[in-house]
Amino acid sequence: MADQSPQKSLVTSVMENPSSLAVARTYSDALLNAAGAAGGPGADAVLEELGSFVDDVLAKLPDLKDVFFSRVIGREEKIRLIDQVIAPRGTPIVTSFLRVLVRHDRLELVPLILREARLRQEIRSGKQRVQIKTALPLSDQAKDQLRKRLAESLPFDPILETQVDPSLIGGIVIRVADTVYDSSLATRVAQLRERIRQRSLHEIQSGRDRFSSAEGN
Amino acid sequence: MKFKADEIASVLQKEIEDFKGQLATSEVGQVLEVGDGIARCYGLSTAMAGEMVEFPNGVNGLVFNLEESSVGVIILGDYLEIAEGDEVKTTGRLLSVPVGEALIGRVVDPLGNPLDGKGPIMTKERRPVEAIAPGVAERQPVKQPLQTGIKAIDAMTPIGRGQRELIIGDRKTGKTAVALDTILNQKGGDVICIYVACGQRASATAGVVEVLREHGALDYSIVVSATASDPAPLQYVAPYAGAAMAEHFMWQGKHTLVIYDDLSKQAQAYRQLSLLMRRPPGREAYPGDVFYCHSRLLERACKLNSQLGGGSMTALPIIETLEGEVSAYIPTNVISITDGQIYLEPSLFFSGVRPAINVGISVSRVGGNAQTKAMKRVAGSLRLDLAAFRELEAFAQLGTELDKATQRQLDRGYRMVELLKQPQYEPRAVADQVIAIFAGTQGYFDKVAIKDVARAEKDLMEFMKDRKSAIRNTIADTGALDDATMAELRTALEEFAKAWADSHELVEAK
Repeated sequence: MADQSPQKSLVTSVMENPSSLAVARTYSDALLNAAGAAGGPGADAVLEELGSFVDDVLAKLPDLKDVFFSRVIGREEKIRLIDQVIAPRGTPIVTSFLRVLVRHDRLELVPLILREARLRQEIRSGKQRVQIKTALPLSDQAKDQLRKRLAESLPFDPILETQVDPSLIGGIVIRVADTVYDSSLATRVAQLRERIRQRSLHEIQSGRDRFSSAEGN
Repeated sequence: MKFKADEIASVLQKEIEDFKGQLATSEVGQVLEVGDGIARCYGLSTAMAGEMVEFPNGVNGLVFNLEESSVGVIILGDYLEIAEGDEVKTTGRLLSVPVGEALIGRVVDPLGNPLDGKGPIMTKERRPVEAIAPGVAERQPVKQPLQTGIKAIDAMTPIGRGQRELIIGDRKTGKTAVALDTILNQKGGDVICIYVACGQRASATAGVVEVLREHGALDYSIVVSATASDPAPLQYVAPYAGAAMAEHFMWQGKHTLVIYDDLSKQAQAYRQLSLLMRRPPGREAYPGDVFYCHSRLLERACKLNSQLGGGSMTALPIIETLEGEVSAYIPTNVISITDGQIYLEPSLFFSGVRPAINVGISVSRVGGNAQTKAMKRVAGSLRLDLAAFRELEAFAQLGTELDKATQRQLDRGYRMVELLKQPQYEPRAVADQVIAIFAGTQGYFDKVAIKDVARAEKDLMEFMKDRKSAIRNTIADTGALDDATMAELRTALEEFAKAWADSHELVEAK
């Protein structure tokens, strides 16, 4: 999978409701289990097909998307639509998954489920996303080196999501799940600033005479 | 005084040379939504309940709700600068406030930041805001009096050190005045006072600070202020912060007095937070744990046993009622937690009885043990006598002809009521209180016109101080009124009554 994949693995907005995320997670687990079961087509194939449904069908046919995501259209009609449009072209497992979603009125979660399923699949195959923030874009060589070093110290195979943030000045910020390892220059300068401030305050308050000349002029 | 620039520069240079950047490791999350002093965050997978978190602009928060997929945080500071998507960091620390001698005489906010413009508070010691109250083995019964300097309270609802006595009443009935007089009366004593203003008008708090300053009471007091314009989280935290500051002195074996003014506002701030956090509302929309919110605060007031230094923390929580409704949710809660209550009534207040204490329903459950012997002796039956007087008074208003004994009882009652009135900011010493109440109950004021009772009492105080200081000193020093002293006191009072009768108009006996 590409390093700079467009999908994000972090929730950043209230619109991405954590509770619908929890629901999406359950569905994606179920989908992956079904796909990975004996006789199934395999998780990667299913994910690709579902991805194609989201990217090629829903994204390109907004009208169809509106029909699918609308609460006004009944379940029966949506299922008929899926039977007519998707079933002839798709594998049975994806088609029935969509039918299940329709029956539970959760079809609008499909993009979220896809995203979650991809992340889950990565974790299942021993990979995990790591967010890297640097002040300047990393060269491919530097990325490879970083990936190797991370793979040595982390219990999984890292997938780098790089991001450039000039406000860091220099250094690197690595984020693994919720833990952030920050060795950027900006943070160090802030640390130094705070320490000097604290120290000066302490010195001034504890020994005012030290800084004043003895003559008192 | 002049600063030497090169000295300062060398300190800074050394600091920079010695600085080794540490890898900053932190647990983070993102702000999903912010509003009215709370934030909901995603991530923060290791956050603990009550842990402090840090927002990017340096504002701190307190983890309040731990949900399956998000964390509810109350924001202790300016929440308007926090935006959706901001990064939140855990700190692994609990909320704490600076404590120690340096705070005395200062006005601080609930986080211990100075508000009075007198410079930083130089203290290294801190104490967690939330602390478990001392257990059974660490306490001893309340036995030392805490003199409020108010005759009606010290005589009939005495307060002991380590007691929790509720001051309850409608708005504008003098609740804060009672608390303030108690602080003023500690002047020259060994009690450190902490006044926690919670949800009060800023002008009212400024007034309190001014009164304390004028009377020199700020030298032994700390004011913790969370005014009505401060965010609800600060109002919620303020009483706990005040308790933490008092605990520090208590564990050093000192005596402290904390006034929570007032807890109904704190309950409202807590209700606001709980509702915003979508905790289920209960009676009067307060959350289910609003009782615990107050009980764990007031339980921290105690008298430590002598092995632990015998320090004490006396709490005077204040509750404001609506239209005298003591059976509302919060008043009943706090009444049941505290060791008694002083009930202030608007009708008494407006009829001129100030402090407007309703003697009938004000009680002190443990303070009796702490009362000085002298006061116990002279005021023992005062409560019952006054209750009987109130009954008689209602009966007398029917206009029936009264027999002599009843009339005498009524007359004395009127004079006792008059005697228990006391102007604001004039706390009385115990010895003076004992003498005044003794004179009243023994009928030495019976001949004085009702309107002159206050003046007569004042003259008596001066008379005792100038001419009979031996008696006054004996009472003050021993705290007891033995038979010999009592006999001396009687002769002194007779002498005074005679002198008064010669120079003033009296009511003629009926």
